[in-house]
Amino acid sequence: MSAVAEQVRIRPLNELDIARIVSIDERLTGVYRPEVWERRIMYYLRRDPDASQVAELGGKVVGFMLADIRGGEFGLEETGGWIERFGVDPDFQGRSLGRKLFEAVVVHLKRQGAATVRTLVEKSDSELASFLRAVGFKDAPLAALEMRIS
Amino acid sequence: MNVEQTTLPKKYHDAVLHWQRHNFPDYGLLPENWQKYFPSDPEFCLCAKMEVGMGDKVEVGDAKGERRREKPEELGEEPAKHLLAIIRAQASTEFGSIQQHEGTLARAQDDEDRFWVLRVMAEELRHGYQMFHLLVSQDWSGVSGQKAEEMVEEILSMQTGSHVLDAFNLEYDSFVDNVVFAAVIDRVGKYQLSMQRVCSYKPFAASMPPMLREEAFHLAAGVIPLRRWVQRAAQGNALITTAAIQKAFNKWMPRGLEMFGHEKGGDSNIRFGFKNMKNAEAQSLYYDECRRMVADLNQRFIRARLPKLSPEEAEALAERLLRDRGKHDGISHEDLIQLPDKAFFRRKGDSAFTMVGFSGETFTGVEEYVRHLAGHLPEPYLHSRDMKQYVESLRQVAAGTLTRDQAIKKTPTLKRVGGMCPCSKSVRWVMEEGIPAEPSRN
Repeated sequence: MSAVAEQVRIRPLNELDIARIVSIDERLTGVYRPEVWERRIMYYLRRDPDASQVAELGGKVVGFMLADIRGGEFGLEETGGWIERFGVDPDFQGRSLGRKLFEAVVVHLKRQGAATVRTLVEKSDSELASFLRAVGFKDAPLAALEMRIS
Repeated sequence: MNVEQTTLPKKYHDAVLHWQRHNFPDYGLLPENWQKYFPSDPEFCLCAKMEVGMGDKVEVGDAKGERRREKPEELGEEPAKHLLAIIRAQASTEFGSIQQHEGTLARAQDDEDRFWVLRVMAEELRHGYQMFHLLVSQDWSGVSGQKAEEMVEEILSMQTGSHVLDAFNLEYDSFVDNVVFAAVIDRVGKYQLSMQRVCSYKPFAASMPPMLREEAFHLAAGVIPLRRWVQRAAQGNALITTAAIQKAFNKWMPRGLEMFGHEKGGDSNIRFGFKNMKNAEAQSLYYDECRRMVADLNQRFIRARLPKLSPEEAEALAERLLRDRGKHDGISHEDLIQLPDKAFFRRKGDSAFTMVGFSGETFTGVEEYVRHLAGHLPEPYLHSRDMKQYVESLRQVAAGTLTRDQAIKKTPTLKRVGGMCPCSKSVRWVMEEGIPAEPSRN
């Protein structure tokens, strides 16, 4: 466990985290898109603010994981947790922050009765896929399909 | 969620719905539009929600480590009286904020903003309902001297101007108030609910987590529109200016700070195990959080004007402009938002009626101070009854005809009125079962 991960504080997401999440996303993607994150964060805050977590170091948010609980979708009748987006500031990557965020999310999801946690990952994103496998994700029986209609 | 849902006995449930018809006529729009604005969210439920699995031990205060109390009589007379006052004040704020929001709800420029506030209002109604559940599900008559029914009647009869806390006695001037109120005053609510999560009275503690989860949405319903507005203001939209937002902050921040109670107080709350922070400590954390909110808004403004700046550069520029009161690349410090000094425009607490200006400067002449306030507060608010009464009290304090303590106790000045259901010949909100309330005429 790195020194950084030990000092880090994991806590539920709040509305004042938007600016830092926008900034982390900008560092990761090179695109400044506050509107996207305002919309997404509002979605998670109104559904269950405790399901999404941020990692804070010295009062500054350096990572985030957005999750919620859903049921009845895609024929999956049982209530399950979904992790949609997460990110760690490039200056703090490789220091177990993603794992800490994931563990906190899972604790909450379990407490709320979720038996499974799911996510989707781009096939080309091997780095992300290996992180997810490292924290315990396995191939799901469902496959994501899509078709362009315009 | 690990939550137990309960409804009030019929006569109280009906009383709340009756109150809603008169004070919150837009309530019906929410279910009609829920799927459009809140797709896949569980539908709104007017009920009390109690968190299951709260710890059984008192967490703070004289009884720390003992079993949490489950009935008012187990608290002892003084703590029970104190807690009852907290519950009634909390109930008053919930119903009061709906009355305030309703007045300007229709003036929202965007439907999304309007429906966010509408959901906030419905959830405040649920929070008021929750407080009624605490009042009517146990016997408080030993300390209240009133029947449950009378306590409910009294709260439902309050109007803007007669609520327990000053912040809920101010009329809104425009939809800017709806949004700034959610960002500033609901934030105090978040602090109170968080502190009360430790409460030694278990039903009150168990009420907090579900309310807090909803409060997270309320704060976002304030902050996110503000973020969008400052962006539009930066892009030259004449319909929203940072000056208008600034003045709304100046109107609400002093009232928000006062909602924590006197800066020297809070000992009883800790001693009785009702809260885990004293007033000054919580108020200070709150002020710092508001400062962070404003810094984020300023960063959003600057990046909308100067998109090439990094977040860190934008933040540094905002700090520099505010510190030096300067200009840079067409952005002036006056374009940015600042929190007023903690002692600005205060009528309760340590700084009540001390004539401290926006930046912390002290005034000695009343008229000069009133002119200063006029320059910093929203124009319509200057003509409000609240402002008029404040200035009258301030003049009397300055003239020595009223002490500061007397002035502090003078607000709110409206007398509590009896049940005033406008559609009924009765003056009652709570009707005995079997006697239907008259239909709404709204």
